[in-house]
Amino acid sequence: MTKHLYKNLEKELKNHFLDYLLLFTAGIFFLILFNIFRGQKEIEFFVLVSFALFYIVWGIYHHIISGTLHLKTVVEYILIAFIVIFLLKIIILP
Amino acid sequence: MEKIKTFIHRLFVPHEENNFRAKSLHTDFLTIYLVIAFLMMMVFKQGNLHDVLGFATDISVEKLYQLTNEQRQKNGLPPLSLNSSLALAAQKKAENMFQENYWSHYSPDGKTPWDFILGAGYKYEYAGENLAKNFLFSNGVVDAWMNSTTHRDNLLKREYTEVGYAIVNGTLNGEQTTLVVQEFGKPMASSNPFTPPAVQASEVVPKNTEQIVTQKAIQPKFNAFHFTFNLNIIFMMFLMLALVLDFYFASKFNIIRIGGKNTAHLLFIIFVLIGLFMSTIGTII
Repeated sequence: MTKHLYKNLEKELKNHFLDYLLLFTAGIFFLILFNIFRGQKEIEFFVLVSFALFYIVWGIYHHIISGTLHLKTVVEYILIAFIVIFLLKIIILP
Repeated sequence: MEKIKTFIHRLFVPHEENNFRAKSLHTDFLTIYLVIAFLMMMVFKQGNLHDVLGFATDISVEKLYQLTNEQRQKNGLPPLSLNSSLALAAQKKAENMFQENYWSHYSPDGKTPWDFILGAGYKYEYAGENLAKNFLFSNGVVDAWMNSTTHRDNLLKREYTEVGYAIVNGTLNGEQTTLVVQEFGKPMASSNPFTPPAVQASEVVPKNTEQIVTQKAIQPKFNAFHFTFNLNIIFMMFLMLALVLDFYFASKFNIIRIGGKNTAHLLFIIFVLIGLFMSTIGTII
């Protein structure tokens, strides 16, 4: 199982190295800001929403570059981002 | 049995019948997850499952007490008994930290932990204090204390026989915080009369009922928070499992389809999960 996963993961990351580097960097920034503002609930939630919105924009940008942008794809990124926002709002900002 | 197999196959394995994308990741399923997440959020808000100040943690006196004694027993030490005067001292200390806006064992105007303990009418032979803030779970608090040499020494001090706790919500330096105060003590033997310093002589005598009400009032709402926290983790793990399986089978069968990138979704969820776990870790002094 791992052979297929590694092979395709490597291929995907190599083909879109800069895109994933950008997403990874944003993720690191998210964690740093989340840690800096730990306990300040409103700011924590703002940081989370910002990261989720960045993720949607990243998705649209990535698929434009790859020439695979479809409405269905954009909806998928929006849905996943908002599922995570709603779930974490319960924990961060009840 | 066959039906369940087909359902799971359709749910996780991309093939012709589910348009070569795991059904659990289809837009309609994602919309259902979104509606469930939204409803959970609304139920949690409307049901007032968090406490009145808008804080949500799963820290309780019972759990802290149980975990502390478990650690002591593991290290061959006798268990501590709960003391209402120490609990009152802890409560007063936490309230004072919010009133005077400080995060320290000593207040800006020079009050020491011993002042609060003596002020609560507890005449001690030995006394100590552990503090924690911003934790979400009781075990996180005790684990952090056990991982710090000085706090661990305090928690495992043979001389202590009694303990008191306070869990108080408030705003400290502009930060919404749940403070945990743990006061240890060994009462002064009656044969050895003790005279508290003049400063503490005027302190109010503890009312046992007050602190019991304070400690028990927090209790029932925390279980709902723990449940929701675990539900969130399970929900995200399910989503990650669906993404990994879909990615694996699509790679194995060389399926090319239109849709979002599973690797990006996974990366996003992993970062959010790390953030979620980070939010459970507080600080101790």
